Amino acid sequence: MSSDTALRADALGKRFGRRGRWALRDCAFNLPTGRVCAVVGPNGAGKSTLLALAAGLTGPTAGALTVLGTTAAQARPRVGYVAQDKPLYPQLTVAETLRMGADLNPGRWDAELAGHIVKELDATARVRTLSGGQRTRVALALALGKRPELLLLDEPMADLDPLARHELMGTLMGQAAMHGTTIVLSSHVIAELEDSCDHLLLVAGGQVRLAGEIDELLGAHLRVSGAASADLAPHTVIESRVTGRQLTALIRPAGPLTDDWRTAAPSLEELVLAHLRDAGAPNPTEERAA
Amino acid sequence: MSALTLTAAPVDRPRQTRWLLRLHRPAIYTWAVLWLALVTLLLALDGPLLNAAADAWRQYESCTTSERCSYDQNAILRYKDYYNYATIALNVLPFVLAAWAGAALTGRELESGTARLAWTQATSPAHWLAVRLAVPALGVTVCTGLLAWLHHRAWTASQGRIESAKEWYDRFTFHAGGPTLAAMALAGLAAGALAGLLLRRTLPALAVGLVAVGVVRWLTELAMPHLWPAVTRLSTVDQGFLGKGMVVDQGMVTASGAHVPPPTCDSVASCAAAFDRFTGRYNTYQPQSHLWGLQLTTTALTLAVAALLVTGCFLVLRRQTGTLRAARP
Repeated sequence: MSSDTALRADALGKRFGRRGRWALRDCAFNLPTGRVCAVVGPNGAGKSTLLALAAGLTGPTAGALTVLGTTAAQARPRVGYVAQDKPLYPQLTVAETLRMGADLNPGRWDAELAGHIVKELDATARVRTLSGGQRTRVALALALGKRPELLLLDEPMADLDPLARHELMGTLMGQAAMHGTTIVLSSHVIAELEDSCDHLLLVAGGQVRLAGEIDELLGAHLRVSGAASADLAPHTVIESRVTGRQLTALIRPAGPLTDDWRTAAPSLEELVLAHLRDAGAPNPTEERAA
Repeated sequence: MSALTLTAAPVDRPRQTRWLLRLHRPAIYTWAVLWLALVTLLLALDGPLLNAAADAWRQYESCTTSERCSYDQNAILRYKDYYNYATIALNVLPFVLAAWAGAALTGRELESGTARLAWTQATSPAHWLAVRLAVPALGVTVCTGLLAWLHHRAWTASQGRIESAKEWYDRFTFHAGGPTLAAMALAGLAAGALAGLLLRRTLPALAVGLVAVGVVRWLTELAMPHLWPAVTRLSTVDQGFLGKGMVVDQGMVTASGAHVPPPTCDSVASCAAAFDRFTGRYNTYQPQSHLWGLQLTTTALTLAVAALLVTGCFLVLRRQTGTLRAARP
């Protein structure tokens, strides 16, 4: 509840329709402020629903989501959000769109920053004439110009070429560092997040599978290989594979390993994939709660 | 005090109205052209068109059957045609507004996701909707109010001068020349907005908005004759129905004084026999003196429906966004 928590979910659930599918169920996690958090998971995992809940666009069916220490509705002026399809008013020009941002976010608007993000675009061009990547820039300018304390980005980089992606990521990270902005960005391309994010939220099947600081999560896991006949107890096995007489596994060690095992630090991608494949893996947040 | 808050408020309150007007600029221009055309037409119906037709009617009435005479028939027909165009156009306005509100005001924003863009600025969904309803409502009330006043003036001027002028209880004339026009237009606006919020798509919202305002109009028509205490006049069978106005109920009076519907008969003999049983006729109707009473009660009823539709808009939005009401900690 304290102000150093950007997002806090307690038994959060969202169902569409009275008898619909649960898009999110029993989610519990805690995201401290100032983090750059990657929300990863397969398509349809509930990433967009989670971001929409945090942006106050929809209300939870069960549980609660605390945003910047208050409700999503009350945090609205301090939260920036870019939806996956980057909706913008097609009839407005780029300059008009930013002026609208200034008018709708009085007292917060940073015209210089917003203008910097769209500096390569023709300010008099109508939004309907822009390409997907250019629209992404305008949408990001609108969200960043608001100087949010929490920035929610749903698949923000999908339409951008690698150069623009790199440049905009740099701008985002610069903002995060300069103003202590918390950034939550969803993606299913893990590689694109590894360098810039320090916090991970792995969502699959509407549930949080893994949540925490990336360094801690990586440190808590080991990639091991050894003889197929060897026993990995008492360690928690996330995923294991046997090739011939060789066994490789991703484990969460419960203590020091015996010398029979060769160990290596897993990459973020390996960690995420292992957890996604093993849907039944115990959730560290659940373990901690238990 | 209020002047102080007015000057201080814009500093930290999001300025939505300006952008609402900017986003709907084509619609506003179209509306302005349509409105000016209707104002011009209604002024002409109170001026040159009326004078020409009234002169023609005077010429016509001075004709006697014995001698040939000429009168300006075209002026009469022109007045009648333009009067009908103007009256029907005014009756159609609520439908136009419903279609626009459903399609452009709410439906398209929800379909294209721009509503979500607006809701993630510093404005809440409730405020977004309030501005989207209040600003057009204000414009619509002023514009349709003026049109209704001009129409009523034109109609009043035609009374006694134009033989073929519509009676006050002609339904199209009734709804074009009084506050019911503004009320119906507001109901159309609310019906369209609700359709857009419910369906979240442009074209279905346009269609459903039209149907919804049609239903409101139909219900109003059904209720209207009963919204003011009516007058009942009795007459003999041979006198026919007495009293002229908006008919509420007509029929026959039996020997016991009961009111029953007129009998059906198909030959002179059977009709004579059928009507012989009755002692007289009754006619329950609204005379012209009830015009404003009916206008005001119908307006109140339509506004109540519009208020229900607006409440529906906010409830639907709350259900969808879950954030209208500030959650209690």
